[in-house]
Amino acid sequence: MWKFTLRRILIMIPQLFVLSVLIFFVAKAMPGDALSGAIEANPKVSAQVLEEQREKLGLNDPAWVQYGRWLGNLFQGDLGKSYVHKVGVTDLIGSRLANTFYLGVAILILTYVISIPLGILSGRYQNTLLDKTITGYTYLSFATPIFIFSLLVLFVFGFRLGWFPTSGSVDVGVQPGTWAYVVNKFYHLILPACAGALVSTTATIQYLRNEVIDTRLKDFVKTARSKGVPESKVYSRHILRNSLLPIAAFLGYDLTAVLAGNLFIESIFGYPGLGQLFLQSITQRDFSVVTALVMLSGLLALIGTLLSDLILSWVDPRIRMG
Amino acid sequence: MWGSKKKKSISILLMSMVLVLSACNSGGNSATPAADAPKTNESVKETGKFASKTSNSAASIQGGILNYGLASDTPFEGILNPIFYEGQPDYSVLQFFYPSLFALDKNFDIIDGGGANIKLSNENKTVTVTINDKLNWTDGNPVTAEDYAFAFEVIGNKDYEGVRYDELMMNIVGMEDYHAGKAKTISGIKILNDKEVQIDFIKATPSVKSGLWSYPLEKKVFADVPIADMSASAPVRKDPIGYGPFKIKSMVTGESVEFEANKDYFLGAPKLDGIHLKVVNPNVLIESLKKGDIDYVDSFNVSLYDEKTNPTNIEFLGRQELAYSYIGFKLGKYDKAKGESIMDPNSKMANKSLRQAMGYAMNNAQVGAQLYKGLRTPATSLIIPAFANYYDSSLAGYTYNPEKAKQLLDEAGYVDKDGDGLREDPKGQPLVINYAAMSGDPVSEPLAKFYMQNWKDIGLNVQLVNGRLQEFNSFYDNIKADSPDIDVFGAAWGTGSDIDPSGLYGRQAAFNYSRFTSEEADKLLEEGTSPKAFDIDYRKDVYKQWQQLMFEEAPVIPTLYRYELQAVNKRVKNLDISYDASYDTLAKVELSADKPVTQ
Repeated sequence: MWKFTLRRILIMIPQLFVLSVLIFFVAKAMPGDALSGAIEANPKVSAQVLEEQREKLGLNDPAWVQYGRWLGNLFQGDLGKSYVHKVGVTDLIGSRLANTFYLGVAILILTYVISIPLGILSGRYQNTLLDKTITGYTYLSFATPIFIFSLLVLFVFGFRLGWFPTSGSVDVGVQPGTWAYVVNKFYHLILPACAGALVSTTATIQYLRNEVIDTRLKDFVKTARSKGVPESKVYSRHILRNSLLPIAAFLGYDLTAVLAGNLFIESIFGYPGLGQLFLQSITQRDFSVVTALVMLSGLLALIGTLLSDLILSWVDPRIRMG
Repeated sequence: MWGSKKKKSISILLMSMVLVLSACNSGGNSATPAADAPKTNESVKETGKFASKTSNSAASIQGGILNYGLASDTPFEGILNPIFYEGQPDYSVLQFFYPSLFALDKNFDIIDGGGANIKLSNENKTVTVTINDKLNWTDGNPVTAEDYAFAFEVIGNKDYEGVRYDELMMNIVGMEDYHAGKAKTISGIKILNDKEVQIDFIKATPSVKSGLWSYPLEKKVFADVPIADMSASAPVRKDPIGYGPFKIKSMVTGESVEFEANKDYFLGAPKLDGIHLKVVNPNVLIESLKKGDIDYVDSFNVSLYDEKTNPTNIEFLGRQELAYSYIGFKLGKYDKAKGESIMDPNSKMANKSLRQAMGYAMNNAQVGAQLYKGLRTPATSLIIPAFANYYDSSLAGYTYNPEKAKQLLDEAGYVDKDGDGLREDPKGQPLVINYAAMSGDPVSEPLAKFYMQNWKDIGLNVQLVNGRLQEFNSFYDNIKADSPDIDVFGAAWGTGSDIDPSGLYGRQAAFNYSRFTSEEADKLLEEGTSPKAFDIDYRKDVYKQWQQLMFEEAPVIPTLYRYELQAVNKRVKNLDISYDASYDTLAKVELSADKPVTQ
């Protein structure tokens, strides 16, 4: 087991290296750079001065020279400086990471809270009205684009009913560190998290439903039933545990996806996180931030697969490796 | 005078995430150009439709909090210092607590009455800046001459990473030596006493009157911070200090700012108790205004404006944007070694009549009325009407006249020889004109198609480069590199508040994207900023000639002037957004009700 884990971690190094080469050169191949828009900030600045700035920032060097410099700095833990935000990339990402994390965790928890009971019910009462309603909901939520749904939720619960705040992650003027601050942050989180969770339950519900239906017909369930185990116990003890396997397989990805950020929700609810930062950095050609964020999500994806494998082998000893 | 030095952010506007935006607002409004074009060609100077002052005359309440909405789909960066910020959202925050030192008149010239006054002497080559005795930073320290001079030292330093080191900075005696590291101080900047700074310029230019650097930097706070680290330092990010009518009480970086009244404001404490600023996604802007969540938005996206559905609880204020759209013709190349534009007499667009014909063929009145719901008007001159002293209102400009366009083409030998309805060039070769247009705005596509149809109507075969619109960055990359694939391009310029157009059209200017040069234009542009041009009548005459010349030569044809809209809740009083509003206009804003008016 440890050997397996270690091997997987070692393989990550060349994988990340290839990713870094790809993303760095692709990013550099984009037309324009962070100074392209500078003329808009000050129409009186001359092109010569901008050229001087490019020289100073090293933007005129060949891409491989820039890559070498970037890689060298990376090994010293320095991801460079954001041109647009004028702070270190690590600080910048750090400042947004917390919000993204809260939002991601809230969405993840809500998704499971909603989908696991619905999946089980749907499988248990297959082909009843309840099942059809739940399946209908999954079709609908699968077909709903998240940004439309977010706008709708915001419009109804934020503006029309006025139950929730309509933008931001916290009200201005609330003292950080106080209980009121925590409550206020949570209050701001509810609506975006619900919007995100309600449209991302489809896969879990459907997997669970199918798995419950399959398991229900398995021999060991029949055995349990014929032994006279009460129906509710059959479900909670025998069927549920075995049906959760495929869900567990996805848990690793889900855990790391928490940090990847959700562009649409962050943008519509004015909730500053990494998703927005990524998009903004691409449009403004803030290369150092773009490469850092892609590297981060690449690393997360690799860790995610590893976690999934580990979780799976933990819950299902049959596939445990070496 | 807020907003008058506001830097235009067309790029940001264009890059904004329209794909998300368009989802919310009733989509059925995309106007299509109608066949029966209204043939009005009047260039309207002010909309008339929109006031620049709120009309509310109800009794005011004591104090109150104004909720300000920063319409943006990204958080503000939080570089809250005029020396370092670049994005428009940060400017929106800055305007409340760190305003310009100077009051401006309607020509954007500095006048007395602001946080500092200026005096020109020594044949206009020296400017003496006198800071108001009562002007204090909100940390209690006085704003000193040293603080003002310190700003120049930071901007001119080689470690400074920003966009404020411009031509006017380089015109200061000793600045280039200081910038190159050859001198420890800037010899042309002398501190006369606690409140007075004297600045010597190499060349006297009227640009000083509007473009003089207008923000001090508190030396006591920043002196120990290395210049390269300043933009990331706490006094810029966490606890910014200004001297404006409001001061920051608390802030959630990127999202919201709580301002409170600066009781010690040197022109008297503001009427409001404070301002709450928050970032609002443009998608939900209209809803937020309707609900009264926000009282005031100063960057109201004009594409959201719709007379039929506008909220009834808000009032729209308008003013002319310091920008214009244009069509440019590629007439040559920029020679990097020589540092100047070189015209190519053989370029496809070298024929003046062809350019003029294309100008007369464009129906901009209809574009403004239909595609932009009347919020854009046909442009006549490269100097915008907001520069009231210099805009040549007698210039007719290229107003829609397809018959004249056809006649010009006929006379120049562009005739249809093979009978396919499209004109060939004078040599009889097929003529395909390649048009580069930018994407990004919901109107971009219909606009490009509309112009192409206009040109087709006079028999010109104009095609989009690569058959599609181009994204902002690649568009400008190609324009800058003088890509041979491009003959005509449609773009826009923000003018800033300095009228001098030489940075965009001078022989040496890299931003002279048409690459048009002429000795007469060189002479006029130089005269326009010469010592003689301190005489307004003389300068007026010079720029009149230049506008005339550019109209005649048509290397660039201005197409549309723009209006910017601001939306204000009907409880807001005394808000004045005109460019020559009094210096302390923000301090005078009042409310007439405790709660916002809702719809």
